[in-house]
Amino acid sequence: MAQPAHPHAMAPSRPGRTRTAPPMKPGTWPTSPRYLTYLAFDFTGLVYLLVGLVALRAAWALGSGPEAWARLQAQFANPLYVAFHALTLAAVIFVGVRFFRLFPKAQPARIGPAKPPPRPVLHAMLYAAWIGITAGLVAVLGGIIP
Amino acid sequence: MKHLLLKLEPIIWLLFGGGILVGTLLLPGYLLTVGLAGPLGWLPEDALSWERLHGMVSHPIGGLLFRVVLLALIALPLWKGAHHLRHFLIDMGGGARDAAVAPLLYLVAAAGSLAAIAAVVRL
Repeated sequence: MAQPAHPHAMAPSRPGRTRTAPPMKPGTWPTSPRYLTYLAFDFTGLVYLLVGLVALRAAWALGSGPEAWARLQAQFANPLYVAFHALTLAAVIFVGVRFFRLFPKAQPARIGPAKPPPRPVLHAMLYAAWIGITAGLVAVLGGIIP
Repeated sequence: MKHLLLKLEPIIWLLFGGGILVGTLLLPGYLLTVGLAGPLGWLPEDALSWERLHGMVSHPIGGLLFRVVLLALIALPLWKGAHHLRHFLIDMGGGARDAAVAPLLYLVAAAGSLAAIAAVVRL
């Protein structure tokens, strides 16, 4: 069942001479897989906001001394924190895959004389940077690099 | 307030875009080690010890890089989160409340960013 959309959606800045029908939102929109994926992408905002605040807490604990850091480590071992971090990792991978697919398409055709590399090359460069930075951080924080 | 938000839109978009790109690049490494492997005991015992990590941030050269990465890892996801959550709430029918919700979300991101600067400076 179609529903009326926002009355000003896609309205021209000045009324045209041709009369047009008011915009209508398709009734199937809220259950469309594409729209649900888009909503899920937006919803990752809550996950990013929370993980930013948790990382802030970790940095603060690190600056507060060994006791505060040990307390935080013990709290991070709580299954709720582990589940939150696992969910956040899944959300970050979802955002990365979706955003890196979009990123090459959003580049300008040229900036002055410079043209961006072809889309597949740019896509591959993003993935290489993502994997490289992740491997580097894991190696440093994980103690593989002393 | 709506006028101010429109004026700040380019800055918010810059921080939001940074949050998606830089946050997504940095977060998996942090989450895999500090969030998962460390608490689950998959790392060497002293990998995430305070002495080792504090030694890294106190290093004359690497310490500055470590602090900048940590600041980006905390502050930029906050802006991505605030902006995306704002648009999620608008999409869920909260457009009428956006004038109150948006400043609140951006205030959380701004306050978190300032606290992040303080946190990396006091390391």
